[in-house]
Amino acid sequence: MTTDSAHAPATARTAESGARPARSRRTGTRPRRSRNRDTVAGYVFLSPWLLGFIGLTLGPMLVSLYLAFTDYNLFTAPEWTGLENIRRMAEDEKFWGSVRITLIYVLVGTPIKLAAALGVAMLLNYKARGTGFFRSAFYAPSLIGASVSIAIVWRAMFSTDGPVDGTLNLFGINLGGWIGNPSLIMPMMILLAIWQFGAPMVIFLAGLKGVPAELYEAASVDGAKAWRKFLSVTVPMLSPVIFFNLLLEMINAFQVFASAYIIGSGTGGPGGATNFYTVYLYTRAFANNQMGYASAMAWVLLLAVGVLAFILFRTSRSWVHYAGDSK
Amino acid sequence: MFRTLSRRTLTGVAALAATGLVLTGCGGGGGEPAALDTEEQITLNYTFWGNDDRAARYDEAIAAFEEKFPNITINDTFTDYPSYWEKRQTEAAGGGLPDVMQFDYTYLRQYGDNGLLLNLEDYFGNGITTDAIDESLLSTGKLEDGTFAIPTGYSAWSVFQNPALLAEAGVEPYEGGTSWDDYDAYMASVTEATGGKVYGGTDTTQRIQDFELKLRQQGRELFTEDGELNFTQEELAAHWQEGQENRDKVTVPQSKLEEINPVSGFGGNLTTSEMSWSNFLGGYLGDSGAEEITIVAPPTDNPDEKDLYRKVGLMQAASASTEHPEAAAAFVDFLINSPEVGGIFGATLGIPASETQLEGANLEGPDKAVKDYLDSISDRVGDAPAAPVAGFGAIEQTFWDLGKSIGLGSVTPDDAAKQFFDEASVTLGS
Repeated sequence: MTTDSAHAPATARTAESGARPARSRRTGTRPRRSRNRDTVAGYVFLSPWLLGFIGLTLGPMLVSLYLAFTDYNLFTAPEWTGLENIRRMAEDEKFWGSVRITLIYVLVGTPIKLAAALGVAMLLNYKARGTGFFRSAFYAPSLIGASVSIAIVWRAMFSTDGPVDGTLNLFGINLGGWIGNPSLIMPMMILLAIWQFGAPMVIFLAGLKGVPAELYEAASVDGAKAWRKFLSVTVPMLSPVIFFNLLLEMINAFQVFASAYIIGSGTGGPGGATNFYTVYLYTRAFANNQMGYASAMAWVLLLAVGVLAFILFRTSRSWVHYAGDSK
Repeated sequence: MFRTLSRRTLTGVAALAATGLVLTGCGGGGGEPAALDTEEQITLNYTFWGNDDRAARYDEAIAAFEEKFPNITINDTFTDYPSYWEKRQTEAAGGGLPDVMQFDYTYLRQYGDNGLLLNLEDYFGNGITTDAIDESLLSTGKLEDGTFAIPTGYSAWSVFQNPALLAEAGVEPYEGGTSWDDYDAYMASVTEATGGKVYGGTDTTQRIQDFELKLRQQGRELFTEDGELNFTQEELAAHWQEGQENRDKVTVPQSKLEEINPVSGFGGNLTTSEMSWSNFLGGYLGDSGAEEITIVAPPTDNPDEKDLYRKVGLMQAASASTEHPEAAAAFVDFLINSPEVGGIFGATLGIPASETQLEGANLEGPDKAVKDYLDSISDRVGDAPAAPVAGFGAIEQTFWDLGKSIGLGSVTPDDAAKQFFDEASVTLGS
């Protein structure tokens, strides 16, 4: 691009520079004014998102950070209490109960969900008749899974003499209803999560399509069986995708709310077994009017997920294989 | 594409996803043109909780009001009870409460003491007629600084029974007002007769009202005059422990109740009896589909003690920030006193507190049964407790949640009592 282009109409220039960024970077002869105007245009186009981010996300986040150090009941002005909310959290048995069940949900549910997603993705990766149909069928639950109506249906399915109880009775397993049983409701919640494996499945499928067929051929020539090929070709080649899915699913699992809220009737029942972190946070904020405590909980969750994500990133260096890395 | 996915992209995605975690809330406000004038067109916002049935009745009442005051338009909205208070609380924080609201006794102190409600006393005899309202009922809306709400009606704690289920079980109904042992024996005989298909009742130690009843039967109250808990942790643990035998063998298992929640065991036809507020009769009839439900007095070991009281539930209140306080007061007066409104609502908002409205209500059927019950227990009715402490709603819910957890066996009565005291000290302390 030359200096003449500075006189060209703005739209044309933007389009052109967008289409040929490589050249302008290489030659480095673009005048500063043109670059500035591009920057301005960029921010103008970004502004709807930026305004939304500042007004609806960043602002409230900063306010909640302040509230986390206060006692605020919505009715009277927030009162600065320093680290009192954190101290209370440390002594709050219900808080630790919610941490415990949320961790169980994340640590048990996420790996099983990813394993199911990967398994089905590998089946669907075979060229067979009807894969298109099955792909949609398996994906469907993750579209509707988070909805209120599904939670209500699952509530009905797992109640005493409901379809699940009835089927198990046929096999001589008499567990009764799962909904009212504090020790069976967690397996049910995890099942509900696993059932929504569609989104990671589609991502796995895309990843599988990208594994070069010649690697498998080479492995076959070397005499590798299916399991060996899976461990030595599929997993390493898929590791960035596995890492990506693991991270997203973990963060999602920490935020489980709608299904827990519906299935536990909004009170974390039965016996606090569905009192997930976010449900408890919501109860503190809107049922008990303890906005300060709830804000502190939100920030603790943010930090905890941040730390876990950081740890995952750290460990990923030893097991995630990026194409082009010198490893 | 994923083989070339970079660390930077992943970091960005993770940061974004994590950012979405923090919950944010917001409030809204509203306003209309100022100054009250009979010629001026005024619009009042009104909101209530309830179901479609109640909404239809309010529509009728509002139409009648608008006919009487052609220059006032009522703009009404409604929702269910839990989200009702979530909405009000965010509005209260943002300074945008509706002009007039259906209100609850439980939240009176919280809103009234924080200057959010209009002092209706300023309009007594000057927009609001109070002559027809029993002084003891009217005073329930009174706080230190004035009267901030007026009850629509009242109810009392009672035992409900389902005659059809009792006939199936072949057990005589509980006669009411006799000893706790009698009631326990009745419940046990039902559960035994049906072999556990239908239970005699629900754990009678689970709710804070159960505990309050026992305390009042000893001449005590839940709270001291200063709003502190008026019982010890050991007494509470003992109260919950008392119900253990019934929970083990007689009353409906909590796990079954969790499944049918929000319908109660009695509403779901799992039990032949249940204790609750007398205005629940209509709801029970709807939930259970039963033809008939009878209502008798709760058991007592101290028949001379005035353990029951007329409980005010639903109230009408106006916002302190309304721009048309006179119009708001006129609407409150209409909802409380008008015989026409009595005819529209019957006893669905409690037995009407105002005599003029009660006459208009012309009670019959189940409404009449509730009124007859309330008349029949007059000997046992004593003074109502002081207005609930700020945060009573949360304390009541905590008590009930713990009671349920005990029923599920996930917490012992001792631990539950400790948790209750920890929680109450935070709620009452703040």
